[in-house]
Amino acid sequence: MFELFVAMVKEEWRVHSTMFGSLSFALFPILIFGIAFMGSFLIPLVKRTLPLGNLSIIVHAMYLMLGIMVGGFGMLGNEVMNRRFGQASFLAYSARSLPLSERFIFANFVVKDTVYYFFLWVFPFAFGYILASPFLGIPLASTLFLLLTLTLSFLFGLCGLFFLSTVYTWSRPVFGLFLLLLGIGFGGIMAAGMNPAIFFPPLLLHDEFSWTNLLASCIVLAYLFIVSLWLFNPESVGSEKKYRDSFTPWLQRLSFLPNPPLATKDTIDLYRSGSMIGQTIFSFIVPLGVIWFFLSLMSQFFPPHALLFLYAVTTGVIASTMYTWVTMFDNFGPYACLPVAVSTLIESKLTTFTILQIIPAVFIAVVAVLAGEAAYLIPAVVLGLAVSFYAVSIMAWLCGLSPNVLVYDVKVLFEYLLLVGVAITIFSAASFVNPYYALGAVVLAIPSWMFFRQAKIRWDAVDPQGF
Amino acid sequence: MTKVIEARDLSKSYGEVQAVNNVTLAVEQGALFGLLGPNGSGKTTMIKMLTGQTRPTSGTASVLGIDVTVDPVGIRERVGIIPEQETPPSFLTSLEYLKFVAAVRKIPDIDKKADWWFDFLDFADKKEVLCKDLSRGTRQKLMFTQAFIHEPTLALIDEPLINFDPIMQDLVKDYLADYAKKGNTIFISTHILEVAEEICSEFAILHKGKLLHTGPVADLKARGGHLPAFFLSLVGKGRHV
Repeated sequence: MFELFVAMVKEEWRVHSTMFGSLSFALFPILIFGIAFMGSFLIPLVKRTLPLGNLSIIVHAMYLMLGIMVGGFGMLGNEVMNRRFGQASFLAYSARSLPLSERFIFANFVVKDTVYYFFLWVFPFAFGYILASPFLGIPLASTLFLLLTLTLSFLFGLCGLFFLSTVYTWSRPVFGLFLLLLGIGFGGIMAAGMNPAIFFPPLLLHDEFSWTNLLASCIVLAYLFIVSLWLFNPESVGSEKKYRDSFTPWLQRLSFLPNPPLATKDTIDLYRSGSMIGQTIFSFIVPLGVIWFFLSLMSQFFPPHALLFLYAVTTGVIASTMYTWVTMFDNFGPYACLPVAVSTLIESKLTTFTILQIIPAVFIAVVAVLAGEAAYLIPAVVLGLAVSFYAVSIMAWLCGLSPNVLVYDVKVLFEYLLLVGVAITIFSAASFVNPYYALGAVVLAIPSWMFFRQAKIRWDAVDPQGF
Repeated sequence: MTKVIEARDLSKSYGEVQAVNNVTLAVEQGALFGLLGPNGSGKTTMIKMLTGQTRPTSGTASVLGIDVTVDPVGIRERVGIIPEQETPPSFLTSLEYLKFVAAVRKIPDIDKKADWWFDFLDFADKKEVLCKDLSRGTRQKLMFTQAFIHEPTLALIDEPLINFDPIMQDLVKDYLADYAKKGNTIFISTHILEVAEEICSEFAILHKGKLLHTGPVADLKARGGHLPAFFLSLVGKGRHV
């Protein structure tokens, strides 16, 4: 049934290309390619301040994160197919009228996403580096080898999260036990003074090629993927769960907020969909745990306080994506028959987002204490939250209620990267010089407020989209 | 009679596709107005423009005296709307959705009103079921309820009977006719001609975005005509033009 896979790939492409135009969407991988190609010429400069080994750790970490972003299939299950582009007659659904099992359709969906996002993100980046390498005197074999290890990193992120999220959905106690064992194993390896990269075979492979390492990586990947598919339980159609009225009590509790009914709906959405806990684990704690792991590999290069602030900035950027948690359930459809403007909805989503910022604030504070940098707790929290609010204001301005979809518009992505990149570079550098300069990030409140205001005006002026 | 809907030279295009092309029509208070047309004729786009969900490319329209481009939220505050696709929020139950609608619209005594509708449309057993788990028919009942629970003077409904069984269709048709008799206005879009002929007082035929005809159903009947035959004579011809 290769036809189903091919049709799904075509469908995914057309969904994106019809939204932004074929050319605009086709430019997306070209932009990634361009960034990698141009960025490669900075390697000789970066090498003077950052050892190449650390640079390769950062790039592998990025690809692992990319895989993690794509791989939450297990937890979202059928919902992921549903939510990506709304309730529509996509092949993932229409194929159900064919004599195919749900698991087979889902496997096709997962493989399709893997291949599709590989060619959208992974390959263009590696290809940019490969084409630049002759100009930099880097042997072709080493660039091709990098493509291999980056691909493995991406697949590790994807299959790793697919596995974790499937186990989480399958059995919470087993998931808890698994995390506990993982933690004990990690602690044991650190205590024994062993290389923590043992947890991440692609990096080991990159540092030192051996067929055994390559085989180990492939076996682990295949194992994670097969077990995930095996454990995946397609949602049974027609299941009907009953709930007592939670709306009234939550409406009273949230009556102090602007637009209490909308905030109440968002709260119930987050709770009942499992996103409050699931997303916190898989879209927040897991990525930040991974980042902490990689930063710890570079601890010799950075002073301890710089690591904390780098971590706070990264937490801020990841925390800003919580806006996608609260927008993922809604297109404008359910509100189209109500007296609600798009700007009101954006305001309400940002209110819910603000409440969710308790999570990154506590997280940064805990990390500061655990890292023995409690003296810099307040500047780190301020920096993290300022970056988060600034990044979300740009996201709201650029994408309105559809950040999950519009990120693939090359113009949107470019503007986002530019605006966020400049700000985080300035404030990271400032906090490296003097930790208390991080408090200066409060000035980001001014552009944040302006972008919020412009977002409301901008998105009220265009027809609300179904996506 | 007061005109509750007035459209003048209303057009909407999506890129090169002209969905609605220079439509001028008026709907008077108390009418049960049927906008008829084949699939893709522009009916849904008309409703979307009249309820401020999409902006006209050119022309003007007002609903209950409010310009659709100036205060679309104000229009949605005063009218009831059932969109083409039933889209209640996935993770609220039926009852919670009605409470959500009531909170947004500031409707008092929602429990009592909701109970009446649950009984009337016979879906009280689905009160505590998540909207995403409801059948299409039950979702349509829920959307019907949200459109009328604040007792609007004007309701705009896209395909009102599409997911209902025959018993429910009868019930809903009677309800709409009674509602209009009380001086309220109902604007429906449909391609089920028999229903339109049975319940509508006035109708308009839209084809390929253009208005081919508008007038009272009674006039057509007085001439010995039938809506389905009349419709096919207009639209059938149109297909070969």
